[in-house]
Amino acid sequence: MSVLYTPVQWNRNKFLYDGVLLAGVVAYILVFLQVAPLFVDATRPVDGAILRMRAFGTCAFLMLTLILCIGPLARLDRRFLPLLYNRRHFGVLTCVVAATHALQVLGWYYAFSPTPRLEALLSANTSFGQVLGFPFEVFGIFALLVLTLMAVTSHDFWLSFLTAPVWKALHLLVYPAYAAVVAHMALGYLQDAKNPAFALLAGGGALTVAGLHLAARRRDRAARGAADWVTVGRPAEIADGRARIVSLGGDERVAVFRYDGRLSAVSNACAHQNGPLGEGRIVDGCITCPWHGFQYRPADGCSPAPFTERIPTYRLKLDGDTVLVHRTANPPGTPVEPLAIP
Amino acid sequence: MSDPDRGGFFIGWSNKLPDRLGLFLVQAAAVLVAGLAGAAFAIGVTQNDPGDGAFRFDLGRQTITGVLQAEPYPVLHVTESERYPAGHAIMLSGQGKRGVQDRAAPLDGQLVVASGVILTRGPLDMLQVRGGDQGLIAAEAAPDANAVPPGVPVPVPLGRWRLTGEICDGKCYAGAMRPGQGLSHRACANLCLTGGVPPVFVATDTVDGQAFFLIAGPDGGPVTDRILDHTAMLVEVEGQIERRGDLLVFRIDPATLEVL
Ligand code: FES
Repeated sequence: MSVLYTPVQWNRNKFLYDGVLLAGVVAYILVFLQVAPLFVDATRPVDGAILRMRAFGTCAFLMLTLILCIGPLARLDRRFLPLLYNRRHFGVLTCVVAATHALQVLGWYYAFSPTPRLEALLSANTSFGQVLGFPFEVFGIFALLVLTLMAVTSHDFWLSFLTAPVWKALHLLVYPAYAAVVAHMALGYLQDAKNPAFALLAGGGALTVAGLHLAARRRDRAARGAADWVTVGRPAEIADGRARIVSLGGDERVAVFRYDGRLSAVSNACAHQNGPLGEGRIVDGCITCPWHGFQYRPADGCSPAPFTERIPTYRLKLDGDTVLVHRTANPPGTPVEPLAIP
Repeated sequence: MSDPDRGGFFIGWSNKLPDRLGLFLVQAAAVLVAGLAGAAFAIGVTQNDPGDGAFRFDLGRQTITGVLQAEPYPVLHVTESERYPAGHAIMLSGQGKRGVQDRAAPLDGQLVVASGVILTRGPLDMLQVRGGDQGLIAAEAAPDANAVPPGVPVPVPLGRWRLTGEICDGKCYAGAMRPGQGLSHRACANLCLTGGVPPVFVATDTVDGQAFFLIAGPDGGPVTDRILDHTAMLVEVEGQIERRGDLLVFRIDPATLEVL
C-alpha cells in the first residue's frame, strides 16, 4: 500500500521473485545461443542474428504464456498466489525480451537495404489478402505495442491517474496481444515448420493458457439471482477469518467475511489492482488482499491510517439462519454495522 | 502488521513466509528455471538446417573476366578466371540488398572485368560486386585485333514447364543469410528483390539436371514487381525454360503463379 509513489517498493520477496525470473531468462538465452549450437552441425551454422531472433522471440512467448497461466493457477490452487505478487515485473521483463527480439529482426532482415528500416518494415510485405505469406510482422508489432503500453503504465501511479476501470481495460489488452503473438508465430516461423519442439511448445502453450482459463471460470461460475437480497448461506459455512464470495451477476462480486463472531460484506475487488479480496484473510483485524497485501477494515472498507484506499461495502441481514446481502453497493468507505452471528 | 500463524497465507510485503509455502515456491522456482533451460535446448537443437550457402570470404576478392548480360538480371558469363571454367554463369549483386543494374546496363553484351566476393550454394554462384567504379569495368581491348570478341551465349530453349518450388532472392539463398529462405525471411527477400537482387526459383524437381533457375518475365526481361506476393513459400508456376551457358533461365508467366 502506498501513500507516496516510489519507483518500486523493494522488499525481500520482490528481490527473490525477480532473481528467479532473471535466472530463468538468462538460462534460456544462454542455452539457446551457447549450448544448443554445440549439438548441431557446426559447418552449417544459423546466422547469429537469426539465432538471437529465435531465442528472444520464443523466450518472450513462453514468458507471456507463463504470465497468463498465473492468474487461473492461483484461482485453482492457492499456493500459486505468491506468483501473482510481482507479476508486473514479470510483464516488464517480458516486454524487454520481446523488444530485443524486434531489434534483432530490424537490425538484420530490415537492414542493409536502400529502404530505411521502419519504412521497410511496413512496405516490404503487403500481401494482406492472403493467409500464407500474410505480413505476420504486424501481429508482432501490435503485441509489442501492447506490452510496452502495459509496462509503461504498470506503476501504481498510472493506476490512480487513469482510474481503476480504465487501467484494467488497458491491461486486459494482454489477451488480444497474446492472440496476436500466436498468430505472429503461426503465420511466420511455424510455417517453416520443420522444428517439432517449437511447434509443440507453441501449440501446447496456447492450449494451456486457454484450458486453465476455462477451468478457473467454470469453478468461479456462481449462481445468479435477481432479487434485491441475494442469498449468502449459513454463517457456519464460512470459516473464521475467511470469506465467501457471492456473485451478484455481471462482473460484480461481494466478499462476506466472518471474524470475531460477526459478518461484514465488502466489494470483492481490491482498490489496488482488482485482486480478489474474498480469497484473502483477516490479518490483524483487517481484510488482507491475497495479491499484494493491501488491507481494509471489514466494517467500513477503509485502509487503516496512514493509507487512504477505500472499497464499497454492502448491507447484510439474517433470514432465519440464512445470511442475505443487498445487491446495491454503498459508496466506498461507508461504515456498516457488522452483523452479529446469533 | 504480521501474524506468525496465518495458516499458509502469503502476504507479499511481509518477509515471513509460511514454511510449507516456502518449500513449494522453491520447487516452483526450480521447475521454472530448469523448464526454460530445457525448452531452449529442445528448440535450439531442432532448428532447420540452413543449407550450405555462404559468403566465401576465405577465397579473398575474386576478379573475373566475362561477358555481361544485363537482362533479365545482371549475369556474368565467364571467359577467364582462376577459379571458374569459361562458360560458367555467375549472377551479380551489389552490396547489401542492392542490385547492379545501373552499373551493368551500359556494359550489356560487352566483355567486362568484375570483382568482389563470391557467395556459393551448390551450383549457384553469385558475385557481390565491390562498390565504387572498380567493381565492374569494361575489359581492355584484346591485343589481337583480329580476334572475334566473345558474345553472350545463344539461348537454347528447353520447352514449357510447370514447376513447384520457392521464389527466393538469389543472394540470401546463396548464403548471405542462413537460412535465406522460408516465410519468416519473406520481408527480407522482398527487400532484396526490390533492391535489384536477381530472383531465383528453387524447384523441388530438376530440369536438365538442375534445380536452380534465374527468374525472368515472359519476354525475358525483369519481373520482380509481379512476383512479390509469391515469394518465400511453395508455389507452382508455368513458363519457358532456356539454357544460357550453364545457367537455366525460367521465363515464368506470373499469371500462372499459384500458392500451394
Ligand atoms: S493488493 Fe494488489 S490487488 Fe489487492
